[in-house]
Amino acid sequence: MLKEETTRELKGIVGEQAYLDSPEDLVNYSYDAYIPEALPEAVLLPRSTEQVAAIMKIAHREAIPVTPRGAGTNIVGGTVPIKGGIVLCFTRMNRILEIQPEDRYAVVEPGVVNAELQAAVGRHGLFYPPDPASLNVSTIGGNVAENAGGPRGVKYGVTRDYLLGLTVVLADGRVIHTGGRTSKNVTGYDLTGLFCGSEGTLGVITEITLRLICKPEAQRSIQAIFPELEGAGQAVSRIMAAGILPVALELMDSTVIRLIEESHRVGLPVEAEGLLLIQVDGSEENVLGEAQKVARFCRENGAAEVRVSQDSKDEKLLWFARRSAFGVMARARPNCIVEDVTVPVSKLPTMVRNIVALAKERRVTVGVLAHAGDGNMHPLILFDRRDPEEWSRVEAFTHDLVQKAVELGGTLSGEHGIGMAKEGFLPMVMSQETREVIRQIKASLDPRGILNPGKFV
Amino acid sequence: MEKRAQESLLSPETVENIHHCNKCGLCMAACPVYKELLVEWASPRGKVQISRHLLEGDLEISPRIKEILSKCLLCGSCLAACPSGVQGDRLFSGFRWQVTRRYGVEWRKRLLFQVLAHPWLASGSARLGGWARSLLGEKLQGGIKAGNLALGRIPPFNSKPFSSVAPEVANPQGRTRARVLYFHGCATNYLFGRVGEAVLSVLPRMGVQVITPRNQGCCGVPIFLSGAREESLESIAHVVKTFGSQEVDAVVVDCATCGSAFVREYPHMLRELKTLGKDVSQELIQAAELLALKTRDVTAFVGDHMSWLPDLPAQGPLLRVTYHDPCHLLKAQGVGILPRKVLASLPNVEFVEMQGADACCGGGGSFQVEHPDISASITQKKIQSIQATRAMAVATGCPGCRITIGAHLDPGLEIQVLHPIELLDLALRPAAEPGALTPGGYIS
Repeated sequence: MLKEETTRELKGIVGEQAYLDSPEDLVNYSYDAYIPEALPEAVLLPRSTEQVAAIMKIAHREAIPVTPRGAGTNIVGGTVPIKGGIVLCFTRMNRILEIQPEDRYAVVEPGVVNAELQAAVGRHGLFYPPDPASLNVSTIGGNVAENAGGPRGVKYGVTRDYLLGLTVVLADGRVIHTGGRTSKNVTGYDLTGLFCGSEGTLGVITEITLRLICKPEAQRSIQAIFPELEGAGQAVSRIMAAGILPVALELMDSTVIRLIEESHRVGLPVEAEGLLLIQVDGSEENVLGEAQKVARFCRENGAAEVRVSQDSKDEKLLWFARRSAFGVMARARPNCIVEDVTVPVSKLPTMVRNIVALAKERRVTVGVLAHAGDGNMHPLILFDRRDPEEWSRVEAFTHDLVQKAVELGGTLSGEHGIGMAKEGFLPMVMSQETREVIRQIKASLDPRGILNPGKFV
Repeated sequence: MEKRAQESLLSPETVENIHHCNKCGLCMAACPVYKELLVEWASPRGKVQISRHLLEGDLEISPRIKEILSKCLLCGSCLAACPSGVQGDRLFSGFRWQVTRRYGVEWRKRLLFQVLAHPWLASGSARLGGWARSLLGEKLQGGIKAGNLALGRIPPFNSKPFSSVAPEVANPQGRTRARVLYFHGCATNYLFGRVGEAVLSVLPRMGVQVITPRNQGCCGVPIFLSGAREESLESIAHVVKTFGSQEVDAVVVDCATCGSAFVREYPHMLRELKTLGKDVSQELIQAAELLALKTRDVTAFVGDHMSWLPDLPAQGPLLRVTYHDPCHLLKAQGVGILPRKVLASLPNVEFVEMQGADACCGGGGSFQVEHPDISASITQKKIQSIQATRAMAVATGCPGCRITIGAHLDPGLEIQVLHPIELLDLALRPAAEPGALTPGGYIS
């Protein structure tokens, strides 16, 4: 429990309305989209950098754990307050402070929702590419803390690639500014990069300057259905080798194809082993040429059926199957975990085969979605968490999955982060020395260990 | 003990929803209340998780729980957005029931429910007028607000209830293509008699025989959703017995909420009440299932049978019309394309889409009275979208949306809110006939 005096001080900073500590509120900030939960002692909804700085000064003085969060959509337990203390929730600190079309940047508060930013910059003919699946809900602050990616990552990269600068409140309440407003900036260490993906363990991000690009003129999508998985893998290699850079290159395996077809009847062949959905963008004429090339590469590598979108209606139709995939999977059983192992692109078909074999071995239902263009796999694991025996098989499967990915030269997370879910696997990809450096950085910025404690550091 | 007591008030089917929530949070993007308040308890995910803790026994029904559960429009947007198919509304209404058992129903609501549940109580216009005056008193004249609604801007009551003036059978002039039962709901009965007149004018012109039973009563949903389940059972049983008939081709409904009750709620409600030991016969459940299959929103019914419409005379100046999707029509019944198809086919209508036509208007029945601030700011977004289209009329097939939107439009703009069936009715009348619509309003 927080001391009465501390509670009074904190209420003085954010106001009674933004200080929540009823049992119902504490329950509501005990979870994110992962499984374990833990109750905080208070939830604060700050409105400004000054408020956050004042809160951190008190937390530092009293050694109170602080877990910053946005909408709480991450799927690794990154925002679960496992040591109790304060949850600092940024959903109400959500102003877009500036959009500069000439200099192509935007300055936002951390609680701005990704999709709302995309819409706002879109009105200026500008484009903010990172598109995590949670984009309609998740906040830019959370996206930065997790270095979120998305299907467009193949061509446009991830959140880190659009960060120009940050305002960060340190654990002791000091406020620093990293980077700036220019896309070139080598003034000192890349502190912006350090805080990006730090999952709230190094500092509290309170303002973000984002690089924007111009909206591409046109888009087209190609759907290719492969009787055999290897063909899909070869088609991906062929596309990449030909110098085409698709916006997105999505793969789904036979389990996902079958489940989509069973619930939506969109005409997918249920016996197919793989489906590729590829999007290209650029100027009108280039896009058509590239789409035709991609279609040809798919056919040459064994695609039984290839469709190229002719208009925006077609485009929507082709993406319907991909977009409905998560829902179709999630409905099949009570619980669904999305894994995130990533392998070199050429190892993709091998990894899909590995996953299918492992799932069989561990008797776990798994469907595979993948951002094939960057080797980022999303096996969807279905189970019922009320069955402890099944849960233990899921855990064993996840362990083997990471092992296989690492053996193929991959890593344990592409875009979801470590949080609580993957901490145990870190030694597989990170040496003692590397982890020691991480701990030293953490200790120098957060000597009392109050920021999102108990997580991967 | 506590846990068992709470579980027994929810059927296993309803409880299962809790275990299917992956806490992904995608429902939050769809929830109008969350988007206003931006706190977890306001979101569907938050309420589902609170429901789980109530069930597991580490939270208890409390005044705070009552407040949290009341801050839900029951618009169903979260159901439509949930990848896992969680039906949060069924959980929330279940817990509202428990809240009601613990704290009772507010007296104003209780009075309203009693009137709604007993057709004979509300049958005479004198009685109804008396009821309205005693309930709202001098506020009606005073421009005082009831929550989000300025009372002076709620439409006047019908001079006589629609059911007392409607013919029990309306026959087509030519051959009969179909026979339907018409459920007109309380809103048409007491407020929007004109909608009922339009239904009885349009359908016979399409060759449809319309049977309008007297003393239909209330669909029971406002009562049920507020948590007063026992009171609602009487209404539901009455409606199911009157309308669950093999003898007709369809049961047409002019109110999105009543329609959603027939299509989506009744069989579930009755099965749940039976599971929980209430006196509900298997026969009644079967009749409710039949009713669910037969029910069709009146605009959708017209859209299904466009070829039955007589030729529409092209006449008069064009009226710019936009369409608002009632949550209980689009999200609960999946009806969205057909009303647009009907409107776009009218020769005197220039149809224009608004931004966010499918966004909730913020009314949510008694929600706007209980939570005027939240409601008003959701409504304001809808009003801005409507006014930005420069339409002179908003079509919507829900009396709740109609009252909410109508009360907030800028009166200076003289935008009318109408049921799509009224626009169709007006398009079917020759220009000179009273009731024809012009950009300035009805000719009467």
